[in-house]
Amino acid sequence: MSAAQGFLRRLRSLLLRRRTDAELAEELRFHLDLETEKNAAAGMSEPEARRRALVSFGGVTQTMESHREVGGGRWIADATSDARHALRSLARNPVLGGAAILTLALGIGANTAIFSAVNAVILRPLPFLHPERLVMLSEDNPEKGWVREYSAPANFLDWRERVKSFEDVASYTGGGGATLIIDGRPTRIRGRAVSGNYFSVLGRTPEMGRGFEWRETWKGSDVAIISHRFWLDAFGGDRNVVGRTVSLDGTPTQIVGVMPQSFSFAADTMDLWQTFAWDQASRSRISFRRAHFLRTIARLKPGVTPEAANAEFQTVVKRLQTEYPQTNRVMGADMVPLHDYLIGDIKPALLILQGAVALLLLIACANVGNLMLVQALGRERETSLRLTLGARSARLVRQALTESLVLSALGGVAGLALGWWGTRGLAALQPNGMLPVGDVTMDWRVLLAIFGLTTLTGLLFGIVPAVWASHREPADVLREGGRGGASRRVRRWGDVMVAAEVALALTLTLGAGLLVRSFWRLAHVDPGFEPRGVLATGISLGAGYDSASTQLHFFEGLLEEVRATPGVTDAAAALVPPLGGYGFSSDYHIGGRGPDDYGTEIGREQVTPHYFETLRVPLVAGRFITEADREKSLPVVVINEALARKEFHGVSPIGQTITFDQHPDSTAVWRTIVGVVGNIHESGLALDPKITAYEAVAQSPNSGMTLLVRTSGDVRALVPAIRRLVAARDPALALAQTQPLASLEARSIARQRFIMSLIVVFAATGFLLAVIGVYGVMAQTTRRRTREMGIRLALGARTADVQWLVMRHAFGVVAVGLVLGVAAALGGGRIIRGLLYDVAPTDPLTFIVIPALILTTGLLASWLPALRASRTAPSSTLREE
Amino acid sequence: MSTSQSDVLRGTLDLLILRTLKLEPLHGWGIMQRMQQISKGVLDVNQGSLYPAFERLEQKGWIDSDWRTTVSNRRARFYRLTAAGRRALGAETGSWRRYVAAVELILRTD
Repeated sequence: MSAAQGFLRRLRSLLLRRRTDAELAEELRFHLDLETEKNAAAGMSEPEARRRALVSFGGVTQTMESHREVGGGRWIADATSDARHALRSLARNPVLGGAAILTLALGIGANTAIFSAVNAVILRPLPFLHPERLVMLSEDNPEKGWVREYSAPANFLDWRERVKSFEDVASYTGGGGATLIIDGRPTRIRGRAVSGNYFSVLGRTPEMGRGFEWRETWKGSDVAIISHRFWLDAFGGDRNVVGRTVSLDGTPTQIVGVMPQSFSFAADTMDLWQTFAWDQASRSRISFRRAHFLRTIARLKPGVTPEAANAEFQTVVKRLQTEYPQTNRVMGADMVPLHDYLIGDIKPALLILQGAVALLLLIACANVGNLMLVQALGRERETSLRLTLGARSARLVRQALTESLVLSALGGVAGLALGWWGTRGLAALQPNGMLPVGDVTMDWRVLLAIFGLTTLTGLLFGIVPAVWASHREPADVLREGGRGGASRRVRRWGDVMVAAEVALALTLTLGAGLLVRSFWRLAHVDPGFEPRGVLATGISLGAGYDSASTQLHFFEGLLEEVRATPGVTDAAAALVPPLGGYGFSSDYHIGGRGPDDYGTEIGREQVTPHYFETLRVPLVAGRFITEADREKSLPVVVINEALARKEFHGVSPIGQTITFDQHPDSTAVWRTIVGVVGNIHESGLALDPKITAYEAVAQSPNSGMTLLVRTSGDVRALVPAIRRLVAARDPALALAQTQPLASLEARSIARQRFIMSLIVVFAATGFLLAVIGVYGVMAQTTRRRTREMGIRLALGARTADVQWLVMRHAFGVVAVGLVLGVAAALGGGRIIRGLLYDVAPTDPLTFIVIPALILTTGLLASWLPALRASRTAPSSTLREE
Repeated sequence: MSTSQSDVLRGTLDLLILRTLKLEPLHGWGIMQRMQQISKGVLDVNQGSLYPAFERLEQKGWIDSDWRTTVSNRRARFYRLTAAGRRALGAETGSWRRYVAAVELILRTD
């Protein structure tokens, strides 16, 4: 029998104890029967024969017992009794046990919740067919500073046709709003336009109906697929929905399929997908290669390595540069795994959060380790007695470890509950699409991680008391009676734990401090306008408003009525609301400059009169856009200070001209700069305002605009009035994304706020645990020195001297922790840099205030026990012992 | 249990079991009977200590067991020597002989 077989046998005997016991019993019965028969044959009576058989056998139970000991059953029995012993001693000291379990539950729960997110976002494969073969294609342009930007439709089509390493290439636009009319009722929905092969490239099929076909990418097929949720919400789960025709932005559109509930791309919450319906004729137009608005996904052919695919892809990209120099001269492209692309944004933050909760758990471990040590000290006499009575020290170590594991298991169960709750909270509270996955749930990976973590935790905090227990010499303990050598060793352990806790808590709190500072800076960025008191609501005109004049007429008329509404102080409309990004960006050329003196990446916005007044954007020079700027009048533009500074260097730009083209030809529209306004953070508070030009809507009308209405009263109270005004003009229109501009502002920093809040909560918990830990250890060490202090006091030491004795020690230990913590935080600063806005990872203020705070709290936590000790009358202390 | 004296005895018991099983597979009671018969009643082993010894030997892989039916048609666990057990018996017998010879030598010196 090999070692493996022996192991298997032992394992079997452990697992199938009952069966082998039964077998042994049968074997022994057989033995006794034969012996009895033998005795009976020798002439004994039946009972006597039996009795003699039993006597000569020498005790059936003992045999079973010792058999079991050989067979490995002893171990199990010991473990069970250890566990029972652990539970008993927990029950004896419920406060201590409860504190330990709560501490562990906090640590494990926080880790569970964050790991659930890490698992869902980073570890879990994307919910598509062979997701490892999906890559994201994006365009780069060093001249415009583009990194992983949208691709142009013509480029997408060329990639799809020319790169042989790609099985297929699909593209989609960012989600947008649309108005869907079901049974005469307009509903605003979120939709996404996709190429006909979008779902097939992802490898997902509808649960009902059919998917799109590639030819439906082109004009002539008004088809849509709806999401499972939208099918339930808007159609009540009607099975006849497939084939039904609805009005989508005024165009009759046929619903051809319903995607299953499990379909989700990143965190999108699309109601509906429709195909691009591009005009085949536009392929040859320059705008088809100039306008960049697509996200493009490719599926690699099986067996093609990403390197090989990228090499071929780059060759095609290079060829397009020479074929279409006007648009593609410096247009590069980039290929990354789809998963990397989707999680790139949030991955660093998640890993930092995971690091923070790991620190928290370590603090919790140190705390519980301390509690265990304190408990072990309280049981010193019990331990020594057991050692004297012959317990092996290995057995004591095992018992200490069992106790830790029982404790960590209880903490783990509580932590699991807390973590489940935390995971749901995290998923529910995360700002819009922060975690780019359909759902954040706990799965086997999370459970496995918790199990591993719980065991590790138990061993981690159990090891110190266990090792300590193994070094005991019974005679020492009995002699010491809790003083002298051993307690010095314990104190040293206590000191190590305190220093470690201080260091860990400091690292965590410093990180949190930096994030708070960063967020404070971010929240106090001047957006360049006054968001309070302004309501934003989107309106997109449908098929009935094809001409520029009808579009303009609608919005001008509506605005006039809105301005006349009681409570409204001003109103305007813009293509994209502030903080919502730019409608588009382009190249530009200032009138009178040399042919190669052009600029790139100017943000463009189209606004109505009163736009700057409504938003309270300061006028720097010239005038705002006014009602006088009409279609037939001089084409005008208002620029922001950033552009004025960049291009005009102190010379007044008023009266200069600008056109939005690199190399303007005779068809170029030159616009006259009539005003300069303050910079607005159009793309969010964290991004610096870029050079921007504001055109008059009247000179370039649009079918979709955002209404901005300022009121002196309650912003939300305006909504019904505006809805009535819109419905009166056109009952088929719905308001979209109606919200106060102030909440748009809050939303633009919601992710930073959320991450900061989480880390602050973790740091505060860690800080609190550390303070409790420091207090606990100091109280314990001080208590064990009360006798010494009593003697000192009796010999004439002053109270302050005795306190100083404790404080000097505490200061030393806390200082070591502080140095370690600051060193760790400085070393780890690089990691957190990406999350910081306008704050250096070595921010002096943070690095002064927080260590000072921890030092003060740590010393306070040590001073309380010192104070108590020094106040005790010496006589009572001495008597106590 | 863990004194050195019982260890010697335990080793002896193992050796005797192995030797007994060299002839043919036997059940526990049979092994005991055989040992008593051959030693002409001199060795009266504690019957209860046989079974832990079986377990031990089985873990070492020196013996193997299975349930069989006896001639009197009863179910019993039969033990038999494995190849490893056969080798171990040779080695153990050798070392036992050396041990006995050494003890004998010492006892002979007056």
